[in-house]
Amino acid sequence: MNLTSTREGIGIALDALRSNKVRAFLTTLGIVIGVATVMTMAAAITGFRAMVMENIEAIGPNNFIASRFDGTEIRFSDNHGKDPWEGKPALTFADAEMLEALPAVRTVATSIDVGGEVRAGSRAVGSVQIMGRSADWVEYSRGDFLQGNNYLGVHDQRASNVAVLSPDLAQQLFPSGGAVGRSVRIKGREFLVAGVYKLKDNIFASAMKNWVVVPSTTAIKDLDANYDWMDFLVVTERGFTQERAMDDVTAALRSARGLRPAEENNFALIKQEAFKSMFDRLTGVFFIVMVVLSSIGLIVGGVGVVGIMMISVTERTREIGVRKALGAKSNEILWQFLVESVTVTVIGGAIGLAVATALAGLITATTPVNATIPLWAIFASIMASGGAGIVFGLYPANKAARLDPVEALRHE
Amino acid sequence: MSSALIEVRGLQKQYVMGAETVRALRGVDLVIERNEYVAIMGPSGSGKSTFMNLIGCLDTPSAGEYVLNGQPVAGMKDDDLARIRNREIGFVFQTFNLLPRSTALENVELPLVYAGVGKAERKERAAGALGAVELADRLDHRPNELSGGQRQRVAIARALVTRPSIILADEPTGNLDSRTSEEIMALFHRLHAEGQTIIMVTHEPDIAAHADRVVMLKDGIIASDRRQTRVPVGVLAARPESALSEV
Repeated sequence: MNLTSTREGIGIALDALRSNKVRAFLTTLGIVIGVATVMTMAAAITGFRAMVMENIEAIGPNNFIASRFDGTEIRFSDNHGKDPWEGKPALTFADAEMLEALPAVRTVATSIDVGGEVRAGSRAVGSVQIMGRSADWVEYSRGDFLQGNNYLGVHDQRASNVAVLSPDLAQQLFPSGGAVGRSVRIKGREFLVAGVYKLKDNIFASAMKNWVVVPSTTAIKDLDANYDWMDFLVVTERGFTQERAMDDVTAALRSARGLRPAEENNFALIKQEAFKSMFDRLTGVFFIVMVVLSSIGLIVGGVGVVGIMMISVTERTREIGVRKALGAKSNEILWQFLVESVTVTVIGGAIGLAVATALAGLITATTPVNATIPLWAIFASIMASGGAGIVFGLYPANKAARLDPVEALRHE
Repeated sequence: MSSALIEVRGLQKQYVMGAETVRALRGVDLVIERNEYVAIMGPSGSGKSTFMNLIGCLDTPSAGEYVLNGQPVAGMKDDDLARIRNREIGFVFQTFNLLPRSTALENVELPLVYAGVGKAERKERAAGALGAVELADRLDHRPNELSGGQRQRVAIARALVTRPSIILADEPTGNLDSRTSEEIMALFHRLHAEGQTIIMVTHEPDIAAHADRVVMLKDGIIASDRRQTRVPVGVLAARPESALSEV
């Protein structure tokens, strides 16, 4: 089909839209809402994902976690009734010492968490994340001491009652300041506050406000932390790749546990990648839901397009007759009305996109999420609305193309 | 086979309306030569509209032969008929049938669009055709900015622009006052003098009087077919209004 009739079709469609603004608005409303909703969600998810990825990267791209089993795998079944950690021994302090001796490994911080109440005098804060960490946890973490210092390796060895508080917790327990050197009671035990540590701003930091770090040995001895669930936070030595460090850790743990070559690892090494892919799987589900929602939106909008195009064909029956008398073939009439319906839906899609851009701007302005509409989504939404125009324009356009010229010319 | 422009033999058209079959045309034979100026007349129900639709290739006959400019069109498919209409026939309608949102120039360009003529040539030819009907200064006017006579002249320019074998006019003055009707008839005379074949369907004897030949249809057959000396242009227009109103 030639370019002229396409341009003419678009021109006719724009004229038709102009001459009946309310109807055009109602026609495109479904498409506008559908596209705007989906694009806003896509922008928000993309922004959120970028933020999560940035935060994961910030932890240190070369760091990884050694764990009894891989908790990042999302399981929808219960793995044949077996617990995922069955047949897998717990990680021990001896393992940590052995791994830290590897040249490719800089630090192995032991990590074991519990929850509980923290008190200072009459003030109490419940549900505090109590993080048992060996003193070298600061090497794995990103942040700064606002007051005081970290505890030392010697406190690990002695299982001393020393603690580092989060700024929020310190603020709540000691509103007048000066937490360092004071004592707090964690799950009823008395601890000396060594410092206040602020994590570098990230979503994990803002999600978890009240936490306290204590030596992992102390957490096990005094705070009922279960030795069986200890993880290692592994920092790769400078000049070594993460891959090398992970290979060495794997080899060392396998040999220590006497695994034969055919046997699978009975421990798990988890990279930042694993968190990323876990997040991607979650957002993937979200995207599927979004595609379904947008399809429903387009179908609802498309039904409107069918109705309005039918009215347009009926109103212009005589014009169709004239065009046929002047030599328009059926296909040329079909093309004209298809171009018209695609123009209507693509304009609807573009308006939807504009609305979504405004909403994304609002999200960016009011939340920490930097919501930007991804380029592929712009492309996809225009394609989808154009596709809806073709699909839903086909029936009315075909009706127009099949009109009998004599009847059409007689139409009042 | 002669070199006649239109050759119709035993043309029949039947419509089925419910249980009843209406025989609109019951066997029409007609030969029209190049550069003839023919008026087709007949009371309503005589089959003249059906005949015009068949001559204009808007419809196909139930039986009979129709050869237009050497091409047998009776059994053609819709798209082939569309091509024939585009090339061979220039329609002029009673109600002008211009596209309301398009300018005069765009309206005249339309058949050339369907003929696949390029944009530059299209504009030039459309402007030329509008010049030929003395509307060179109205190219960018829309139909609602033109008088009835001007609209019909745009429609005639649209009919002429493809250089068709025949101009087929259906009650071309039916929506015009007498003075404007005379203008249009004068234009038809000029086109005819330039070699154009014109077939005009009308029920007004005054208008038919302009043609060289009058074919009268009645009950689906040709009742009479006579040549006449046409009325000079201006005679009707010169008549007093009171006389016209009696017609």
